[in-house]
Amino acid sequence: MSKSFRQSQSFLHTWSGLVLGWLLFFIFAAGTIAFWREGLNRWMRPELPRVEQPEVVLAGAQRFLQGKAPDAKSWFITMPSDRLPGAQIFWQPQPKEGEKPRRRRGRDTQALIGASGDAVTARDTRGGEFFYRFHFDLHYVPVIWARWLVGLAAMMMLVAILSGIVTHKKIFKDFFTLRRGKGQRSWLDGHNATAVLALPFHLMITYTGLVTLMAMLMPWAIVANYAERDRFYDAVFAEPEAVERANQPAPLVNLVGVVRDAEKRLGGPIGYIDISEPGDSSARITLSRSGTSMLSARVPSLVYDGASGRMLWQSPEPGGATVTAGAMVGLHAGRFADAGLRWIYFLCGVAGSVMVASGMVLWVVKRREKLPDPARPHFGFRLVERSNVGILAGFPLGTACMFWANRLLPVGMQDRAQWEVHTLFLAIAFSIIYACVRRPAQAWVALLGATGALLCALPVYNMVGTPSGLFAMIAQGDYVMAGADLTVFVFGLAFGAVALRVSRYRPAEKRKRAARSVPATAMPALEPAE
Amino acid sequence: MIWLALLCALIAFALFGLSMDDHHNRRLGTRPTQVRKRRMRGVAWGMLVMALPLSAGSHGWVFGPILWLGLIMVSAGLVFLYLNFAVAPAKKG
Repeated sequence: MSKSFRQSQSFLHTWSGLVLGWLLFFIFAAGTIAFWREGLNRWMRPELPRVEQPEVVLAGAQRFLQGKAPDAKSWFITMPSDRLPGAQIFWQPQPKEGEKPRRRRGRDTQALIGASGDAVTARDTRGGEFFYRFHFDLHYVPVIWARWLVGLAAMMMLVAILSGIVTHKKIFKDFFTLRRGKGQRSWLDGHNATAVLALPFHLMITYTGLVTLMAMLMPWAIVANYAERDRFYDAVFAEPEAVERANQPAPLVNLVGVVRDAEKRLGGPIGYIDISEPGDSSARITLSRSGTSMLSARVPSLVYDGASGRMLWQSPEPGGATVTAGAMVGLHAGRFADAGLRWIYFLCGVAGSVMVASGMVLWVVKRREKLPDPARPHFGFRLVERSNVGILAGFPLGTACMFWANRLLPVGMQDRAQWEVHTLFLAIAFSIIYACVRRPAQAWVALLGATGALLCALPVYNMVGTPSGLFAMIAQGDYVMAGADLTVFVFGLAFGAVALRVSRYRPAEKRKRAARSVPATAMPALEPAE
Repeated sequence: MIWLALLCALIAFALFGLSMDDHHNRRLGTRPTQVRKRRMRGVAWGMLVMALPLSAGSHGWVFGPILWLGLIMVSAGLVFLYLNFAVAPAKKG
């Protein structure tokens, strides 16, 4: 009874893991990188100095917007801090009669205010935002399709984790066991170790990841309780009533003072400022607390009168369900995490990516030993084997290429930010093609080796080609930039080391296979994954 | 206080790891008796529990438990790497 249960779980584990495994690897790896979203936003604009005085930048943003878009419909300011490249601002022009309001933010309605308080032009890049969006919106795919796919993959992941705990029942008993240099056993131990060591993280991140998509994946609770969908959103994301434009000019109060007052009332730093009808007597300033200072992702906000600077409205105390959902989303995104905790998040994410990748490799390693004719494997085996090489090695290579594109593409290039992203996918496409024409053992080494070399060379280039080289940043005490360089370098070394190991591994494997072929047939083939 | 919490978690996992026959044999040269194993694991659990108030003391009761789980994972990982990759006193396991 228990044996058949475990076998069924093993089957579930194998196939729920495999079917969307590569997509899962993308999601996991990109999400892991996205924990450094803000750091990458800075690192990918190395020409910008660090923000030392946020209030100077904020005042500069207000000055810039008053000059550029004095009678816009709304302004939107990201509150600057030393973790961000500056204050990102957007504005929305007054809608013209008979013209639909534009939803997308055009290039001509946004600017970046740098550390000095003036608008700066940095290289056009999506920075860390790309990894954040790619992590749940994918790319080149309509967003709604992408989210359903990601949601499906996340559900598969949850199934794979839970059935994996049953399948690999020895993970807790063999907690500290790693049998090295033993082929399939080592892969299995590695897979188990990355899984069990960060198991709380894996469960949390998968479950809370589903929570972020819950309104889409399981809309029934909303449908059953709210006649109109908008009413639900009104209840969850409370907002004060909109005001009509009065068409009476009135200067906007100094935002710095409003922010100070709001930070005192909310008990934490401000993250976003939204100003509607600036320069009109009906102006409203909405300030929301930054997600960096609290667990829940549903941040409270305050509304001030733009002309007088009086506080008008406070978001209501959130209910239990909202706090629960907010805390889960917050736990998932980890915006609250300081440097130490953020590193833990990142390392756990790396462990998770390795877990997914090693699971995919394990599928191949296990089946290779049982192939009837190892020289001519069947199609499914070849498909998985080659896709593993192309995708598992392709994504890191693509990321390395994207970082290089960020450094090397000419600053004046049209659609520069888009081409950085295209570079990543071109590199993955190349990897897949390369994996199809070369033997896997060769392709692994070449792709991983190239990734290692590219990553290791990046900090060297930064020292020569950008003003924010490693030693300059350490001297300035800017550990975000220096840390990014060092991390990239360490990852380069790691990829190089893996490439080296793979290249040396081949002969040992052959010997072992020859030695094992006799007992393998003699033993009953009953060894589900364990 | 956060370092104390990390230290507790590290000691806990070192004890958990060493209480396993293989690692005990390789690092300390003997196989642990049942009593010794149980004692090691008891102390280890105690250490893990101790790390929780220490984490909360450093990060408050909202973020403390998250930090605690994080420290547990980190120290388990470190002990895992140490036990498996650091050179053991000459003897084959």
